[in-house]
Amino acid sequence: MSDAPALVVENLSLAIGPAGLVDGVGFQVAPGEVMAIVGESGCGKSVTAQAIMRLLPDAIRQTGGRILLGGRDISAIPERAMRAVRGQLMSMIFQEPQAALDPLTTVGSQIAEALRQPLGRVRGEVLRMLRDVGISDPERRIDQHPFELSGGMCQRIMIASALISRPAVLIADEPTTALDVTIQAQILDLLRRLAIERQTAVVLITHDMGVVADIADRMAVMYAGRIAEAGPTAEIFAAPRHPYTALLLASIPRLSDVPKSKLAVIEGRVPNPSEFGPGCRFASRCPRADARCAAETPPLRPLGAGRLTACFHAEPPHGTQP
Amino acid sequence: MNTLEITGLKVHFPGRGGAPVRAVDGVSLSIAAGETLGLVGESGCGKSTVSNATVGLLSPTEGSVKVLGTELAGASRETLRAIRAKAQMVFQDPVTSLNPRMTIGEAVGEPLLVRGLARGAALRDQVGALLEEVGLRADHAGRYPHQFSGGQRQRIVIARALALRPALLVCDEPVSALDVSVRAQILNLLVELQARHGMSTLFVSHDLAVVRHVCDRVAVMYLGRIVELAPRDALYSAPRHPYTKALLAAVPEPDPVTQRAKPRVPLEGEIPSPANPPPGCRFHTRCPIAVDRCRSEEPAWRAVGAASVACHLA
Amino acid sequence: MRARVSPGIAIILLLLAGFVLAAAGAELLSPADPLRQSLLLRLREPGFASRTATYWLGTDDLGRDLLSRILYGARASLLVAALSVSVSLVVGTALGLLAGWFRGWTAVLIMRFVDTMLSIPAILLAVLTVAVLGPGFIKLVMVLGLTRWPRYTRVAYAATLQVAGLPYIKAAEMAGCGATRILWRHILPNIAGPLMVVATSEFGLMILFEAGLSFLGLGIQPPYPSWGSIMSAGRQYVTRAWWLTVFPGACLFVLVLCVNVFGDWLRDRVDPRSRSR
Repeated sequence: MSDAPALVVENLSLAIGPAGLVDGVGFQVAPGEVMAIVGESGCGKSVTAQAIMRLLPDAIRQTGGRILLGGRDISAIPERAMRAVRGQLMSMIFQEPQAALDPLTTVGSQIAEALRQPLGRVRGEVLRMLRDVGISDPERRIDQHPFELSGGMCQRIMIASALISRPAVLIADEPTTALDVTIQAQILDLLRRLAIERQTAVVLITHDMGVVADIADRMAVMYAGRIAEAGPTAEIFAAPRHPYTALLLASIPRLSDVPKSKLAVIEGRVPNPSEFGPGCRFASRCPRADARCAAETPPLRPLGAGRLTACFHAEPPHGTQP
Repeated sequence: MNTLEITGLKVHFPGRGGAPVRAVDGVSLSIAAGETLGLVGESGCGKSTVSNATVGLLSPTEGSVKVLGTELAGASRETLRAIRAKAQMVFQDPVTSLNPRMTIGEAVGEPLLVRGLARGAALRDQVGALLEEVGLRADHAGRYPHQFSGGQRQRIVIARALALRPALLVCDEPVSALDVSVRAQILNLLVELQARHGMSTLFVSHDLAVVRHVCDRVAVMYLGRIVELAPRDALYSAPRHPYTKALLAAVPEPDPVTQRAKPRVPLEGEIPSPANPPPGCRFHTRCPIAVDRCRSEEPAWRAVGAASVACHLA
Repeated sequence: MRARVSPGIAIILLLLAGFVLAAAGAELLSPADPLRQSLLLRLREPGFASRTATYWLGTDDLGRDLLSRILYGARASLLVAALSVSVSLVVGTALGLLAGWFRGWTAVLIMRFVDTMLSIPAILLAVLTVAVLGPGFIKLVMVLGLTRWPRYTRVAYAATLQVAGLPYIKAAEMAGCGATRILWRHILPNIAGPLMVVATSEFGLMILFEAGLSFLGLGIQPPYPSWGSIMSAGRQYVTRAWWLTVFPGACLFVLVLCVNVFGDWLRDRVDPRSRSR
């Protein structure tokens, strides 16, 4: 990547009480790039997003690491100035757009608020933004309230209000999970187009490998608070190196597999933070695990071509690649 | 005899503005013994209403629902109770599907107990066997639901549904609330149980890949109607209805190469309100190929190859 | 999952246990007969020792031992509160369950009646009823119990509506359960938490109501002791015998405070569970 990254997360660690939630997570996102953080519930992907926005719940503390926005460490910014950073340099969209919008304010005013201007002064700009996110009949929609709009339209409004101030970074936390597939496809197309056109760095938090495959340039797979594997999306899907990624991909029913065939299964369950041992957190469920995996934490190491994996057995013996 | 036979089913709810919400508006389908029928569609298409009407949790406004030849529409309480011994249900959310104040053994054994089919040691043995059948331990019968993970709870729900050895299992989005890796476990279990017991299944889901994985035939619903019903392979390899095509195109496949090469079939606009469905073909407001005829004339069911389609242009 | 009990709550629980023990063991703990009068020992100050006994909290205007009267008074308070709360809990919950289960006209009738009841000031209703029926222990319990049930009905109704829509109730129907079993085994245990919270806050209120009615002479009748009637009798001696109003008043204050703090703690314990899933 030649561009300077818009967002750098370095060695981020988060804890709730004595229990570690996120342990040494790091990645960077370039302008115009979509970076997916994918994992199952409880893997730490959503708290990571909240930490980047500095919107962590009170009970969760950042215990280490840095977050650099355009080269500037945001943990040093006081809370009042942070409010300006949010919305101006960095925005977030959520899973439930209807819940994230103010029910009593027209959508136009809410979008204008992101510019810190009354709607009257920026009406033209808001209309342009509405058209840009694919809202038909924007002159009418601008004065409507969120309850008058469908879920897909509300998510478009969220995106409009998140991007109108041209932030460098957009955090999208499960932006299409609550939407129907046909609407999801529209929103994903929209996100990808806007990321490229506006050179926004997008961090996409999701559990859906299909969504990752659709729009992410690069991805990081999280498991139990750590990154298991990271790299370019196409390469990871083609040849996953971490056993967790491989099993996760093999467990998804596809339009191309044999109906009623047995899907790959990951035995056991995700450990609780209180059960974390000294070794690899996937070791207890991993078909390739040995004594070393249970005793020692595998470092996230480069495998070439921008790929990283935290596994001692990332180079599989011949013929076992799923 | 078909296990399930639905003819001209309509379920309307009282709407806010006077006009009834036509959640299901003329659905006919049947499921043969041992067959799995998938019912797919987006939210609000009426697929969950169909599944609830199938087990008598909702009564039809019009039309007929027959389970093993017994009519549910207008059935007495006793008839309904008897039919439910043959038609059981698995719900979407395993957390709210189990009474938090009841042990899982009590929950699984309840259908047997209240119908007087087993009690005491015999009940305990049967509950143990059911728990083991779904991959849980019999000695966990005394535990409460909160002591289990989401996937395990869904196994408990399945065990409860199997307790009466139903001829028809209605699964309403059984894996939508589960994590990806857990989803595979439950799908494997459902496929396995079905092969072992040979029961008929109505499998309701919004996920086309999941439906393809477990079903023999698939019905696609849009705005209270079935628009296409076809054997699985025919539907997925040669979809006839433009809505089916759009749905298939919209499924994000977990494979960047095929996913990004896929032609986009953008559907314009949003699903209209079921209180005020459009005239003619209900899909015409979003259909990429709609012509004048679609706006005025309702398409009739017709066979196209192996599929049945409701479209003038299929 | 285990309940974590903070030191503050531990003290509250100990105090509450103390009140209950004092009430239950009034015969054993009382240094004297609470009804025995002695004109020679009128209005003695706390700590007064006669030849035969020590009056730790002093005596009242009829020479009765105040400590003993307060212990027996605690019994009256707690008994009236417990019984009247039970009456309103049972009546209110039953009506709320019925309204929530049958909905429709049943619910409209019951809930309109609830609205009507709640719009009448409860203490006024209680005062009027006692004034008409005349005082008495059982009447007091019934009056308090039968005027205070609507709050339970509201809570039970809302909770029943919510629980009745959950899939496990559908599953119980599918299993073949009848309405009685569904209400008793599936709904009632799952709405018990919020009802208990209401019951606790009502318990504190009932103690105050009993004291208030007895103060007005409409509750526990003399010579039997109640904190309200002790204070009422002590009112005219406030300048000469402060202990007659201060001690029962303090007991009332501490007991109701304990009950209310306990109720808040209970609500915090019940609420997060019902809110999350």
